[in-house]
Amino acid sequence: MVVLDALNYIKAEIDGSLTYRWSCRMGVCGSCGANIDGEPKLTCASFLHDFKGRTITIEPMTHFPVIKDLVVDMEDFMEKLVKIKPWIIRDKETPPEQGEYKQSAQELERYSQFSSCINCMLCYAACPIYGLNEKFLGPAATALAYRYIEDSRDQGKDVRFPIVHEMEGVWECTLVGECSVVCPKGVDPMLAIQKTKILGATNALKSLLMPRGGH
Amino acid sequence: MKVETHKVARLHALLWGIFSLGGMIAAFLLPVMIYMTAIAYPFGLWPFSSPSGCLYCPTRDPSFLVTGHLLGALFIFVTIAGSLYHGIFRFQTTLTELGLLKYRRALEAVGYFIIFVGIIVLGYYLVAWYLNGTIA
Amino acid sequence: MGDAKRYPELRRRLSSGWWTANRHYTMYMVREWTSLFVALYSLMFIYGLSLWATGSRADFLNFLKNPAIIGFSLIAFVFTMYHAATWFYLLGAVAPVKIGRSRTKPWQALVLNIILLIIISFLAIWLAVLR
Repeated sequence: MVVLDALNYIKAEIDGSLTYRWSCRMGVCGSCGANIDGEPKLTCASFLHDFKGRTITIEPMTHFPVIKDLVVDMEDFMEKLVKIKPWIIRDKETPPEQGEYKQSAQELERYSQFSSCINCMLCYAACPIYGLNEKFLGPAATALAYRYIEDSRDQGKDVRFPIVHEMEGVWECTLVGECSVVCPKGVDPMLAIQKTKILGATNALKSLLMPRGGH
Repeated sequence: MKVETHKVARLHALLWGIFSLGGMIAAFLLPVMIYMTAIAYPFGLWPFSSPSGCLYCPTRDPSFLVTGHLLGALFIFVTIAGSLYHGIFRFQTTLTELGLLKYRRALEAVGYFIIFVGIIVLGYYLVAWYLNGTIA
Repeated sequence: MGDAKRYPELRRRLSSGWWTANRHYTMYMVREWTSLFVALYSLMFIYGLSLWATGSRADFLNFLKNPAIIGFSLIAFVFTMYHAATWFYLLGAVAPVKIGRSRTKPWQALVLNIILLIIISFLAIWLAVLR
């Protein structure tokens, strides 16, 4: 049995007004995030036997405005996801008759880990930098941007780099690392942010050494 | 349609790159530096050990690193300048995380000022010693 | 797209004691505070050099032998080693190397870089002092 089962029990038998999000109950939809004893977790992935004999505290995810009970306002997060343009950007689309954009297994592997994100927002609940400064782009959005930057089919670096390399993009991150610790899917957003920082630093160096030069 | 403007923080990217380099320097070079000046020399351990084994009277001393010895002077400059830059950059960030976010601009100004003065003074001393054997 | 500030009155603020909330955060804060000692040692060393500049070489050497300076330097040494260890671990976490089908783990980077540190330290002493 999981914490979500406990919440469903409370809503069914004790207090019908208890309000919380859930859907797939198997850790793939990302709806049921909450702070359980201070740790951001999916309620459907937190087994009650791990808390045996204790009273546990279930709170809405930290750093988000609370709408009611465990339901938080996701607007900021949704805006950030859209902001980084999470779609393939091409200089020129080839017509469908020419077939699909081919990608090798090695090319897929460069970004597939970062495409596993289920948008559960646990990383934002865990990130103290986001808690201190809500303008920070944050782990999931940066990991998603990096997923497209590393996708060999994508040609949108010129569009995405200014977004991730502005001050509130990756530069606010100080490698606390909690985002990767709490991620239920092993996306490792800390790795994505760090690699994006390195891209930013090398780009800045290149533009310094070759002002009119190439990318 | 809302037009977004994004300003790439190019300068900050470069400053971060130098901070990263400083972190490497502080991790790989600073330990041996502190060992030489605060452990080996005061307690007479290798490479500053004295023949009779008495403490506080080694035959060589860390000033040897500086006078007329280019590699030694370079070592001191790279280690201290890199560590100073890294330490101040990071500590200024830490202070903003401890509730001083409002004072970020002021902290940055003070921090970079200390870094600038520190590196200039250090460089001046080392160059003067290397060239003259003494400060002019 | 809705109005992003729909619920401003219910936004919870992070207190400046946030880092005491759990062990990971506290260890992070300790790790970041190593930077203070790295910076202070550097400034202290520059100050020591300034004693030589305005006085004599003996002033610098006496400065190094001063018990308070040695005491602080030893504390700085401990923090610097902690910085080095956490830095090496982070290198392993943010720059994993692919070997065949698997990737290197951070603790492997820690061990490797500690060995590298020992080698570089010996090299530094040899190049700077003994040559």
